[in-house]
Amino acid sequence: MTTRTSAPPSRSEPSGVRVIRLGAFSFRVRLRVAGLVAVAAVVVVGLMAWSLTLGNYALSLAEIHGALKGTASADARFIVVDLRLPRLLTAVAVGSMLAMSGAIFQGILRNPLVSPDIIGINAGASVGALLLIVTRQPLAYLPAAAFVGGLVAAAAIYALTWRGHISGARLILVGMGMNAMLTATTTYLLTQAEIRDASRAVLWMTGSVYGSDWGDVRLLVVSLAVLVPLGAALMWSLRVLQLGDLTAHTLGMPVERIRLFLIITGCALSGIAVSVAGPIGFVALMVPHFARMLAGPMTAGVFVLTGLLGAALVLGADMIGQHATGVSLPVGVITSALGAPYFLYLLSRTRVRL
Amino acid sequence: MTTRDVGTAVAAENKRVRMLFRSPSAKVGVLMAGCVLLAIVVVLGLRFGSLPITNWDAINALVNYSPDSYEQTVVRYLRLPRMVIGLGVGAALAVAGAAMQATTRNPLADPSILGVNSGAALGIITAVYLGQLTHPLHFVWFAFAGGMVAAAIVYAFGSVGSGGVSPVKLALAGVVVTALLNSWLTAVLLLHQETLDVIRFWLAGSLAGRDINVFYAVLPFLAVGVVGMLLAGNQLNVLSLGDDTARVLGMPIGKIRMLVTALSVLMVGAAVAAAGPIGFVGLAVPHIVRGFVGPDYRWVLPFCVVFGPLMLLLADILGRVIARPGEVHVGIVTAFVGAPFLIWLARRRQVADV
Amino acid sequence: MVMAMNRLMAHDVTLAYGRSKAVAQNLTFQVPDGRVTSIIGPNGCGKSTLLRALARLITPVAGTVLLDGEAIHRQPTKEVAKRLGLLPQEQVAPDAIVVEDLVRRGRYPHQSFLQPLSAKDRAAVERALELAGITELRNRPVDELSGGQRQRAWIAMALAQETPILLLDEPTTYLDLAHQWEILELIRRLNREEGRTVVAVLHDVNAAAWVSDHVVAMRAGSIVAEGPPEDVLQPELLRRIFGVHCDVVESGGVNVPMCIARGRSIWRRHELMVRSLTDGSDEKGARPAEPALRAERLVAGYQNRRVVEGVSVSFPAGKVSAIVGPNASGKSTLLRALARLLPVSEGTVWLHERPIGRSGRKAFARQLGMLAQEAPVPPGMLVQDFVAMGRYPHQRWYRQWSPADERAVERALEVTGTSELRWQPVEALSGGQRQRMRLAMALAQETPVLLLDEPTTFLDMAHQIEVLELVRRLNETEGKTVIMVLHDLCQACHYADYVVAMKDGKVVAAGAPNEVVTEELVQSIFGMHCTVFPDPVTGTPLVLPYAASDTALQEVVLESH
Repeated sequence: MTTRTSAPPSRSEPSGVRVIRLGAFSFRVRLRVAGLVAVAAVVVVGLMAWSLTLGNYALSLAEIHGALKGTASADARFIVVDLRLPRLLTAVAVGSMLAMSGAIFQGILRNPLVSPDIIGINAGASVGALLLIVTRQPLAYLPAAAFVGGLVAAAAIYALTWRGHISGARLILVGMGMNAMLTATTTYLLTQAEIRDASRAVLWMTGSVYGSDWGDVRLLVVSLAVLVPLGAALMWSLRVLQLGDLTAHTLGMPVERIRLFLIITGCALSGIAVSVAGPIGFVALMVPHFARMLAGPMTAGVFVLTGLLGAALVLGADMIGQHATGVSLPVGVITSALGAPYFLYLLSRTRVRL
Repeated sequence: MTTRDVGTAVAAENKRVRMLFRSPSAKVGVLMAGCVLLAIVVVLGLRFGSLPITNWDAINALVNYSPDSYEQTVVRYLRLPRMVIGLGVGAALAVAGAAMQATTRNPLADPSILGVNSGAALGIITAVYLGQLTHPLHFVWFAFAGGMVAAAIVYAFGSVGSGGVSPVKLALAGVVVTALLNSWLTAVLLLHQETLDVIRFWLAGSLAGRDINVFYAVLPFLAVGVVGMLLAGNQLNVLSLGDDTARVLGMPIGKIRMLVTALSVLMVGAAVAAAGPIGFVGLAVPHIVRGFVGPDYRWVLPFCVVFGPLMLLLADILGRVIARPGEVHVGIVTAFVGAPFLIWLARRRQVADV
Repeated sequence: MVMAMNRLMAHDVTLAYGRSKAVAQNLTFQVPDGRVTSIIGPNGCGKSTLLRALARLITPVAGTVLLDGEAIHRQPTKEVAKRLGLLPQEQVAPDAIVVEDLVRRGRYPHQSFLQPLSAKDRAAVERALELAGITELRNRPVDELSGGQRQRAWIAMALAQETPILLLDEPTTYLDLAHQWEILELIRRLNREEGRTVVAVLHDVNAAAWVSDHVVAMRAGSIVAEGPPEDVLQPELLRRIFGVHCDVVESGGVNVPMCIARGRSIWRRHELMVRSLTDGSDEKGARPAEPALRAERLVAGYQNRRVVEGVSVSFPAGKVSAIVGPNASGKSTLLRALARLLPVSEGTVWLHERPIGRSGRKAFARQLGMLAQEAPVPPGMLVQDFVAMGRYPHQRWYRQWSPADERAVERALEVTGTSELRWQPVEALSGGQRQRMRLAMALAQETPVLLLDEPTTFLDMAHQIEVLELVRRLNETEGKTVIMVLHDLCQACHYADYVVAMKDGKVVAAGAPNEVVTEELVQSIFGMHCTVFPDPVTGTPLVLPYAASDTALQEVVLESH
């Protein structure tokens, strides 16, 4: 996939790079990326505010402000704090996590066209969740079951791909095989289930942020706080990994260890997101491309930008699904409907010989 | 994605791909043996199931049917159609798989890669949801049309852009169109629970409980496809040498590829309409057959006609045996047999970068 | 119309891929009947495109390709295929296909839709196998063959097509010296014995001169010169075509001209030679340089296959060393084992007298850098950022851009002459520029020892010289120890102070080029005849191979000894 960065041809340090040095610390900051991150953050916050006002019980911004400060009526407080806020925070967190995990996987596999949904991690999560649903266990364990399912799938894919080292092409194929097998398992479970359970399972498998509560939000916030800095720090090495294993080795990088860390981080990001909201399609595949097109090759800054764009996408899709159509559609349907045509467009535009 | 050198070294390591049978007489012998095996499997298929039936009853039901015998009735009206459908569908899927692998020059090509399965599913959904049709004989044509349209879309997007049709582009377009169709499918299913109830059994490909009349309705397409393809062995041979070589040898590759794809879609569409989506027969059987007879399609295709049904019927019997008194749908069994095969394939051979 | 016309010609054609800029404009070219024609020129000059147009693989935007006086695009495809065959550059063979099956598929244009193999087809296949000299390989899988054998199997497929005209697209690329000559001899035999018209795109000027009766030189989409080899092989003309200084030298005794591309360092080497002649002092004999990198009884390979078997070798510090040898002789594997990229199963490697396994990864990467043969280049990345990644072993996640990093990158860009390109996206660079950028990255690593794996592959003559000159300069101005794998013997002799010759995973000879590269050595490692004579300007050995069939030449060589 060719992303054009507008590189000024002059010789002086033009491309808006600032070097920050503080004692032993030194970083390069691209002003363009920093600016984009700021803009994306503003957009996400704006969307959040707008989303709070929408719904059957329309609220003004002032009322929302009041509700958050605790000065508004009890009804408004309940709607904002207990219903709308957890849902939209979940959408934001889930979107950013999926997008960032996509960025990690596309980076490791050096293939811009893969994502955790294609290589079977989400299918693993689905099997975990479905097992829980058809065996009628308490739904409170759903996130845990899905997470374990995704983790087991990821571990199996990793183990089956390993032959002295991890090859990207092999990982994709093994992943596609696992995906097929796990999807067959979900189909089997669906045929075994009662129709009401099957219906619930289908809803979960589409991906939806409906009915999220503060417990979900707490889980997501904690994992974001751990995983985002970790991912951003690993981007430093991922950049070098893009040059191929051999070059990374010659530059003194412990390639397999770094890759394992990256896979764990990517799986954790997508696994936790899927466990809360179900496998929301195409966010992981699509958003990293947007980010790269806007800001150039993946760096820590672009990684953060990817997260913010993912948040905006899922939040926006949830708003469309909830309010724009007559019926309330789960967010996964909207992201797929938006994402697949976009992806086909990308495919037809790509100048890389595939 | 190791560099070329490591690649060739590993490839040299893996060159244990030998054909087992080299002389034409040996090949004919194996083909005959396969036919005998197939006959035995058909008889076994008539015997196994929740109702125990003797060999004698099974054979009598065919040659000397007495309507008074309950056992013979079961054989004649429940198990025989199942075997007949299995024979037709297995042959069609395997032959179409071999043809797709030859035209795309991609060892991973499988009829379902062209999105035929999900297209057919969406066609049926449309019929059930909008047309309120419930009888399989009515919605077979929708399945057919849906599969065709999906394949056409995948093919169109796989061939635009630089470099024309490429195996990887085709595969990716297939994956994405499948995902898109599935999301629409889910949306419809969520909105309409009765549709889900009608279709979820169809979605798990199966030979059981299918209407033999549906099979007869699509049989002409199946026959045209299989016979046409058997005649095209030489064309596939030349096509598998690469576009440049094929064109220099005077082949109109555009036309031939279109024809082969159309025949494949015809066969697969018919098979899916008759038995639902059954994966991996089309992928695995051609590979196994090539292990027997090498890459000469004039041999590969007739072998597929015999070994495709053999694998499918064995999977069908397996599904009946492992879950007595219930049964596992054959599509799920083939996925569970086929996916490990795909993984084994990915581990064994040096796959070109995807 | 009575005008004598050749069977195949391109008339005023303009060629382009898609809607992009034309690759060639208003080209007219007649293929001489019954002769071997070769097309030479730098990368991207449109030579392969022209060949593809002649083979009807691309349709000219304007003008026509005529076969037997009729526009080739108007003729039925199979009719064309009976008269015109092509060996494509990228060959796709199904797994495990055997040679005979491959060759048989060449009969396609003579078969009808349902017709099985006729007796005539069988006879043609036999003849093709025999001509290509691979009758005894008929039942071997193609992917098991050596490079030269595989190429012959593909040529046999084109031969089975029984066409009077045969087009070959870079038939000798990726092959080592001996295999290249194997193919060249076959081409010549096809023409002499069978009277076939052959057109070959070749990148090696000397090979073209040897094999063909007619040479076509292209540059930037147009034909610059055309004629018999001795007319085209002129220093001035070659300079104009390839954009690099070329000398045409003749070996003592053998009257075969040989073209050598030269860079600037030639004059320094010339001075050195003159000085050593006048002083009589043998500089390199004075003190043996201490080894920068030393291996003892080294065994390495992939999985359970040993490629390098018990190699003991040492590379002098502060010098340029070259490893030469045929394909699959273990050159690259040795280099990788030295760079710690492969596990060493037996033996030890010392870097500056310290076993390489001792130091940490990053510490080692600060001592030794390596340029792998090919590596993915992430699109969209800027050249400077790419080069800056060479600083990885000096950095920490919190120290991403220290003043030292900045200085090193700046210097690397400057030395490699890539400063002007620094803000370009990497995919915008030409092959030569890209190779310079990759060298800059290795340079930014600031290691005293630099390993290069075939740094000149995929480059044309001018770019090869450009890269090798840079390597030489790095050694002379920065004092770097350079160890590189090269496939061109003459270049290795010219640019290296120390040559290591390998065969079958073992080191056969090592030392100064003059001592190592002899006719016996070339004969023993490549298994082919050649004459070795000193370069008149630099005194370094030049290797001029000749075919076994050239008995006249052989005699001259024998006499001259």
